[in-house]
Amino acid sequence: MASPALSFRLLNAHLQGPGDGRFHLKPVVGLLVALLAACGTRANQSAGSLVAVDDAGDTVRLAQPASRVVSLSPATTELVFAIGAGDRLVGRTRWCDFPEAARAVADVGDGIPPNIESVLARRPDLVLLYRSPQNSDAAERFRAAGAAVLQLDFDHLEDVSRIARLLGPLVGHPAQGDSLATAFDAELARLRLPSDDRGAPTVLLLAWDQPPMAIGAGSFQSEILTLAGGRNVFADITTPSATVSIEAIAARDPSLILVSDSGIPGFARRPEWNVIRAVRERRFVHLATPAFGRPSPRAPALVRELRSLLAERRP
Amino acid sequence: MTAARWPWLLGLTLVALAAGLSLGATRIAPGAVWAGLSDPAAGAAPIIRELRLPRVLLGFLVGGSLAVSGAVLQALVRNPLADPYVLGLSGGATLGAVIAISAGLTSPWAVPFAAFAGAMATLLLVYRLSLVAGRRLDSHVLLLAGVVVSAFTMALVTAILMLVDATRLQNSFRWMLGGLWSASWITVRMFAVYGIVPLGVLLLNGRSLDLLALGEEQARHLGSDPERVKRVAYLATGFLTAVAVATSGAIGFVGLLVPHAIRRIWGPLHTALLPSVFLAGGGFLVLADALARSIAPPVELPVGVVTALVGVPLFAILLKRRLA
Repeated sequence: MASPALSFRLLNAHLQGPGDGRFHLKPVVGLLVALLAACGTRANQSAGSLVAVDDAGDTVRLAQPASRVVSLSPATTELVFAIGAGDRLVGRTRWCDFPEAARAVADVGDGIPPNIESVLARRPDLVLLYRSPQNSDAAERFRAAGAAVLQLDFDHLEDVSRIARLLGPLVGHPAQGDSLATAFDAELARLRLPSDDRGAPTVLLLAWDQPPMAIGAGSFQSEILTLAGGRNVFADITTPSATVSIEAIAARDPSLILVSDSGIPGFARRPEWNVIRAVRERRFVHLATPAFGRPSPRAPALVRELRSLLAERRP
Repeated sequence: MTAARWPWLLGLTLVALAAGLSLGATRIAPGAVWAGLSDPAAGAAPIIRELRLPRVLLGFLVGGSLAVSGAVLQALVRNPLADPYVLGLSGGATLGAVIAISAGLTSPWAVPFAAFAGAMATLLLVYRLSLVAGRRLDSHVLLLAGVVVSAFTMALVTAILMLVDATRLQNSFRWMLGGLWSASWITVRMFAVYGIVPLGVLLLNGRSLDLLALGEEQARHLGSDPERVKRVAYLATGFLTAVAVATSGAIGFVGLLVPHAIRRIWGPLHTALLPSVFLAGGGFLVLADALARSIAPPVELPVGVVTALVGVPLFAILLKRRLA
């Protein structure tokens, strides 16, 4: 896993907040950019002043903030809208369903891997890609066609503020990007509980039932659960999710099972699942919101919702 | 090595059953395993009786059936590369399962039932295509029909997967890998009810298959009706594979490798080959599944990965030894 907090910093000097001193770029480039930026003002950004390094380690240069952005992941689409740059989006994936206004943006199909032709038909000057081996070829082609490309690791809650800060200037909303990030981090910090988790309800985050798949510590969903005061029974799985046996679930003996569908899930009617105590006792919690499917600025609200759901089910 | 066939196979079966009951995501001491088996009130009883025992039994039945189907089909189409899926049944089963999953059917029986329906529809389609001029079942046409129908169903599966929700897509792929995670007394009973007749038919037709292996002309001279044998064998393997795929997805390598391994060790005569292949296939799959469950707990590996990782090197050794 890359360390996302470090790998992607914007070098526009007057935008850097306090404590934001970790540069990855070569010092010469950094100095040059700082000098250029110092000459301009916020209202009048000089050419070449926007430089960023994405999570693939590629340097992105923009003469001015992008005005035609194609976002190829639901998480970045939501974030671009959240920092007030939704009007600059000219393309999104078919999975981008939030906010409502995103549906009005042209649909270019899948995000991993994208359809090169339908993305380029939108004549983007900036393409936001989820970083994945399946997308590296597409990134090369977009770049060859003259668009700037950002490949982003958008997997954890901390990525929301990190990417908001980096994206803000590139889409002409540096202040909003910054304030969203600050507010998001502050809210998460307020929500963080004392580290003592004795008495925390043990929860199974069930991603799928045929075969049984559990969410592991590598997923932001596990982070949301922890913030809400629950303990993931499969926190020892470091990947986002993994296939586990019913026996392993029974042995971990979760006190609650978090599922996305409402009602008693179908698998609860199968005899083998009833070896699990929480299934026998029908101890299910439903978190139906689609925001649970991606790291998003809505995470703090989600944490509060889940916290009250867990409190309701406390014995 | 050519002697002592049955002690070896019974030994393998017993070792496999013991390993399947003793190994798993949780560590249970041999004494506690026995207590869980014999006493419903023992602490380990739910895990042993409701999870491991049905899983071991289903694994044994599925592994044995896939191996027997593979052995029969290899003889039927006279092609060493034949396995139970050569008839395109796994493609049909996958299509059924994917339709059920992407339609969001929540009933616990929707997926196995849809997979069974898909496999049976494919079986009949391939059968119809292979009846040359509606009379003779041609082995070569059978192979071709299986391949093209398989390609067609997999194309449909891909098309559906491209059009449904991303998480469902990913999860459908996991179903296709196959596995024994759905084992319960219900699936064991389902297998017993639907699988026992085709399995019995195949095991009892060993002699007819031996005659067929001599060539259709020869078989006819020796008083066998090759056309009838082929049809019965085809429908029985198809039905058996459909039941196996419906309960556990498309588990690979058992149906291909086990018959070859047994033939290399004990020779090709079907009367003894088929029961041996059943025991060896069952034991092999139960052992592979025990490894898949216990090698990296709590994560469970797809059993198909283990059957290939263990089966292929074993088979390579057998190939070498015979040639040397």
